[in-house]
Amino acid sequence: MRLIRPLLPFLFWLPLALSAQPAFDAPPERSTDGGFTLSWEAEDAVVLERATGPDHEDVRIVYEGGDASTVVSGLPDGEYRFRLRAADADTWADEATVVVEHHSLARAFGFFAVGAVVFLVLIGAILRGRPRD
Amino acid sequence: MTGLDDPILPTSIAWGLLAAFSVLWVVLGWWLGRRNKTAEDHMLAGRNVGLALATATAMATWVTANTTMTAPQLALQLGVWGMLGYSLGALGLILFAPLARRIRELMPRGFTSGDFIRLRFGTFTWRVFLVVSLIYAFGWLVSMAMAGGVLINALAGIDYRVGMTVILTVCVVYTLLGGLRAVIGTDFIQTIIIIGGAAFIAWLTIDKVGFEAIHFNLMEERPELLNLLFPAAIMFLFNNLLFGVGEIFHSNVWWSRAFAFGRNVGFRAYLFGGLLWLPIPIVAGFIALATPALGINVPAADMVGPLVAAEVLGLTGAIVVFIVVFAALASSLDSLLAATSDLVTRDIYRGHIRPQASEQHQFHATKVIVVLLGLLTWLAASYRGEIPIVGSLAELLYFTGAFVASAIWPIVAGLYWQKANPQGAAWSMILGSGIGLASYFLIGFYVAALVGAAVSLAVMVLTTWLMPRPFDWGRLARSDAEVPA
Repeated sequence: MRLIRPLLPFLFWLPLALSAQPAFDAPPERSTDGGFTLSWEAEDAVVLERATGPDHEDVRIVYEGGDASTVVSGLPDGEYRFRLRAADADTWADEATVVVEHHSLARAFGFFAVGAVVFLVLIGAILRGRPRD
Repeated sequence: MTGLDDPILPTSIAWGLLAAFSVLWVVLGWWLGRRNKTAEDHMLAGRNVGLALATATAMATWVTANTTMTAPQLALQLGVWGMLGYSLGALGLILFAPLARRIRELMPRGFTSGDFIRLRFGTFTWRVFLVVSLIYAFGWLVSMAMAGGVLINALAGIDYRVGMTVILTVCVVYTLLGGLRAVIGTDFIQTIIIIGGAAFIAWLTIDKVGFEAIHFNLMEERPELLNLLFPAAIMFLFNNLLFGVGEIFHSNVWWSRAFAFGRNVGFRAYLFGGLLWLPIPIVAGFIALATPALGINVPAADMVGPLVAAEVLGLTGAIVVFIVVFAALASSLDSLLAATSDLVTRDIYRGHIRPQASEQHQFHATKVIVVLLGLLTWLAASYRGEIPIVGSLAELLYFTGAFVASAIWPIVAGLYWQKANPQGAAWSMILGSGIGLASYFLIGFYVAALVGAAVSLAVMVLTTWLMPRPFDWGRLARSDAEVPA
């Protein structure tokens, strides 16, 4: 018993350490500009994959290595499924789904037009350039 | 695939570069500022800066953390339009050229942008302006301190807080020693480093990766970045332009230079500075588009610039990027520390706390305020990623966009519209900032400045039209060295 006692804390932590699987850290649900950051908790290198369907047919590897996050950008409208596993594991540990729905072009050009008007008025105000006294 | 777990710059080289450039800037700061005797020497470099130094300081100060770190981030997030839209920030400098001439004519003995607003629009508007201006100055300071930490972390793997602390300390020390004279002198050297380094990196990137590989991989992995009808990027174009205009028009960084440049120098200096700056964000941003072709992992969007450059260019590239970005950061951080401490000394300390403070007393107060600003900046930058708006460089910067863009119209109307209404100027900033901020949270970071500027314009035009208040321009020259009773 005297020999086992110092090992007790390790024995207690062993199952927890074995079960520490990579997991996404609060992944976003939606994006209106086709970009977001995915971060995860993991003790070692991970593999992150992306697909557009539930069956992961068109899967592609997004990242493989020891970092704890990745910036995704430039995605068109769609539903994107990400899955994560430890690099040395065979089974997937966590999944996240992000829906990309860009702003409408009408809204985008509405803001563009407002900006253009403000800019033209600014140019006019500076070019007139003289106090009216 | 490479990432942060595999830094390119060995820690010993990174520390060596940090130490060498830290000593260089501090010694230059001491040497350039050794003849400063009065607050006016310290704050405005004797009011006689020539065209070469004036152009260099305008350009170098505008090449900031924003340009070297945020331009690649925006290219990564908003694609081609993000990169080109960022370069429209040059219009801020170019459009300020006529304003600089007018400021110098109207207020030959002026000290700060706050002086102008107080004399032109009265105390209430002045206080609103100070709040707007200080929020922006602080946001910019924090973003640059963050950029310093991110840069060192991305290239050498040195802890973010350690790198940020070293860069901030160096800038505080040499600004403290030399005032605006040191800031402008070091800016000149930093400009040469920035232009030479940026051209070198762009040439090597195109040579090593090639346009075809970049285009093919973008189309495969991040197609929206090449889409000319990318909605968020279209919304961003005028937002960024107006953000840049707002930053420059209201900030004491640029006003203090308008007062410090010799007669007839300001117009040409800002015009040439803007034209020199125009290609820098395109060069800096372009390299981020090579990310998919290179298979680089970008853990945080604001790290993309240094990560790509280091990956493409290897150890030599990492060293060049390190030096260029350190120079860009230092040239802006020192300018902002100097100009913000002037604003706090003149408009808050002398304007609100001790109106009878002597010249010598202000000289000392300016130095204490530089140190306090440095400490506050360090504290806020330590929480990068832990406070929502201090998430990434772009998010923090564009958060301040609503504030600065709402100050465009009080400045322009104040300088050119004789009947501009003081209450209207105050409310254009209050409503512009408020509604601009709401759009930041409800729509996205890429519209806050645009909305702020549009609301501010509407309020300023309406109030001037409905309640005109004629102003005697001569009052500005007669009383520009006074403080309120």
